Amino acid sequence: MCEDCGCGDTELVSVEVHERILAGNDKLAAHLREHFVEAGVLAINLMGSPGAGKTAVLEQTAKALGGRLRLGAVSGDLATDRDGARLRAAGIQASTITTGSACHLDAKLVHDALHHVKWRDLDMFFIENVGNLVCPAIYDLGQAANVVALSVTEGEDKPLKYPVMFRRADLVLLTKIDLLPHLDVDVAAIRDAIARVMPEPRIIAVSGKTGQGIGEWLAWLEARRP
Amino acid sequence: MHEYSIVGALVDQVERVAIEHRGAIVRRVHVQIGEYAGVELALLRTAFETFRAQTVCALADLVIDAVPGDDMTLARVEMEVPDV
Repeated sequence: MCEDCGCGDTELVSVEVHERILAGNDKLAAHLREHFVEAGVLAINLMGSPGAGKTAVLEQTAKALGGRLRLGAVSGDLATDRDGARLRAAGIQASTITTGSACHLDAKLVHDALHHVKWRDLDMFFIENVGNLVCPAIYDLGQAANVVALSVTEGEDKPLKYPVMFRRADLVLLTKIDLLPHLDVDVAAIRDAIARVMPEPRIIAVSGKTGQGIGEWLAWLEARRP
Repeated sequence: MHEYSIVGALVDQVERVAIEHRGAIVRRVHVQIGEYAGVELALLRTAFETFRAQTVCALADLVIDAVPGDDMTLARVEMEVPDV
């Protein structure tokens, strides 16, 4: 009998589903991952707050490699092609995904963007996500690893305030360390906060300005190439 | 604010289940949301209430089961099925 009105005409049928809500995105992400691995492309989902230094790290990465590896990127922003232009100027084959008002990239946006990038010819492909410490974390994009850029100017407690992002990170790039002499910030406290939320804490301190730490970051990337 | 995009995916899923089972009116949608799923439950409810109009979920209630972990799943759909 219908529980709501007691009319007795209809019966409620209960169907067990138990499927991930983002199963559609997961499926497309798995498809992308398969293609990346097959083509020997290391795909990295680079996330972080707006202004964390994601683009600067990629510029330094290209500079340090000096053309030794072929780099590509798609960068997601609500508006403008500024990051894409910066990446292209640095020698990275880059395309921009302007999301309008969407706060994150999903597998479909990345999939569509790949039509504008000769991704099969690449060694490394960076998906520079929309600057945001919340939403991007929950969408699988087919990446081999999640990297979160966290700048030393963002405060020591960011990992504790945004635990989901750091829980899903394979690596945290602690950026803008060239600014440390000018700041009243305790790096040990940042590391401690990361260790509290990240299952296997892995942190590399870098500067997008001086290039400090970029060698260690490159070694980390190299070790993950398919 | 990705809760709207999640609700969009959820409603599509429910619609598929309803069609498969020839369900006429969906009454309840049960979801399980992990503590670290990155979803704000209040926003999810608001998004569902806004989004459900003119979908198969128009008359459905969203029942949220907060669970440990970081997954989010559509657990169960309750619907009225016409007499055959």
